[in-house]
Amino acid sequence: MSELLIPFQYEYMLKAMFVSALIGGVCAFLSCFVTLKGWSLMGDALAHSIVPGVVIAYIVGAPFAVGAFAMGLLSAGTMGFLKSKVSLREDAVIGVVFTGFFALGLLLISLYPSSVNLRTIVFGNILGISDFDIAQVLIISLVSLTVLILKWRDLFLFAFDPLQARALGMNTHILHFTLLTLLAATAVAALQTVGAILVVAMLVTPGATAYLLTDRFSHMLMIASALGVVTSFVGAYASYFLDGSVGGSIVVLQTLVFLTALVFAPKHGMLASRRARRLTSHGVLA
Amino acid sequence: MKAWELFMSNPWAPLNYGFMRDALLIAALVSAVCAILSCYLVLKGWSLMGDAVSHAILPGIVVAYLIGLPLALGAFVAGLICAISTGFIKAHSRVKEDTVLGVVFTGLFALGLVMFSKVKTNLHLDHILFGSLLGISHEQIVQTAIFGGFTLIVILAMRRDLFLFCFDANHARSIGLNTTMLYYVLLSLLSLSIVVSLQAVGIILVISMLITPGCVAYLLTTRFERMLIIAAASAILSAIIGTYLSFFIDGATGACIVLCQTFLFILAVLFAPRRGILAQRFQGVAREAAAVIP
Repeated sequence: MSELLIPFQYEYMLKAMFVSALIGGVCAFLSCFVTLKGWSLMGDALAHSIVPGVVIAYIVGAPFAVGAFAMGLLSAGTMGFLKSKVSLREDAVIGVVFTGFFALGLLLISLYPSSVNLRTIVFGNILGISDFDIAQVLIISLVSLTVLILKWRDLFLFAFDPLQARALGMNTHILHFTLLTLLAATAVAALQTVGAILVVAMLVTPGATAYLLTDRFSHMLMIASALGVVTSFVGAYASYFLDGSVGGSIVVLQTLVFLTALVFAPKHGMLASRRARRLTSHGVLA
Repeated sequence: MKAWELFMSNPWAPLNYGFMRDALLIAALVSAVCAILSCYLVLKGWSLMGDAVSHAILPGIVVAYLIGLPLALGAFVAGLICAISTGFIKAHSRVKEDTVLGVVFTGLFALGLVMFSKVKTNLHLDHILFGSLLGISHEQIVQTAIFGGFTLIVILAMRRDLFLFCFDANHARSIGLNTTMLYYVLLSLLSLSIVVSLQAVGIILVISMLITPGCVAYLLTTRFERMLIIAAASAILSAIIGTYLSFFIDGATGACIVLCQTFLFILAVLFAPRRGILAQRFQGVAREAAAVIP
């Protein structure tokens, strides 16, 4: 029994678990909007685009969050500009821009190898995170959470039906920009926990799981956030015993929960819909 | 600028090294294969698919290593599993396709990371993720050339059917083409070209090679046959310049190649004859002028 409590005796494990849980919760809250809007590629793109910002910030000794956030907005702005000017499909524009930014980040890492470790970018660095970086992550998470809690109804309507939102007199440009900024901000925070490549999982999987479990958006927000907090905490905890990457453990756990929901969800799961089909074919519902 | 002095003292220095000649050759071959395929992916809107499949092959590599199969085979199978399970989940749930794809590929990639840290291997994760073009062995060169050549032949042999499938799948079906088969052919080609590029640029930067050249070519021409040629040419040019440049600035080779492609894309966005920003502005001015005259 006492063996299971070992991770709680180390300060770095405690930090890792609680910071992961906070970031996991905020990302999961946002993931409901991302899945609703179909922005998976956008989340992935922003997570990769912020890498050169992180590297430059470490090279010049600035707070990493500032560089990353600025780079995230720059790449989102570039995508928006190109989309309006060029006749390419949106997914292609996003792909070209984020891979270019990411390659720039990798080139900078190879030119200044002492400034930042490649593994920090790929795996995150939650076990060796400095207190200054924790402070940045805390600020980002709390600000994002506040905005989300205050504005979730407007953002929901915008994500669900932008035309209706505009008809009601909302400024959809501002809402679009708000959602994009929140996405960039949470990607910056999540980069520290799970690494650039797995950020998109934190921004998609809890929302997708919650979507299978409920039909009401307010419930979806609560279920997703709870899942995000619990899976991140437990994933970080389990990584101690697995001796593996924290990000990998968290995301594997989130995926397992998604697969469970996919099969067993009460109304939208595969078993439930099979049962419903069988009942219909027997004429019970008909 | 040390890089500049190095360049001025002997601009042909890279060619004196065997590993640089190999790197140039492989980079050109791999990027040509990816570029041809990128034309179809851009047309079909499969950017996220390339992104997903390339990440998803990581667990396949680890499993193949464990049971002693060729790594390329494991990677290929894992890529197909990603795409097929995405199709299955989408068909059996109400979650959107892009979300399902995001869930599946990150799950597989995370599984690969966890397995990687549990298994003692002599594989370098950095090499899988970012390639090791300069440390490529002769065996790997032969393997890359065979797989790359095979992929290229299949694409070119089926180029008309694939084009119709990507451009208008309904039309393709109505004239009697087997679109389900074409779907899996395109998917297999995607997995195969990612496997081919694994050694050279790694699974992360290959995404760029599977998108950018197609976009460059799309901006420059309206005919598909020309698009294929332009994409391949721009990719080969980027591969050569990028590899060459990385020697002098001592930077990551894969990243340099991708940045060259991005640079060509920026040039195309600005200066493309009909679809470029400048051309469109000029046309706009001309139209206004024409509207004033009568």
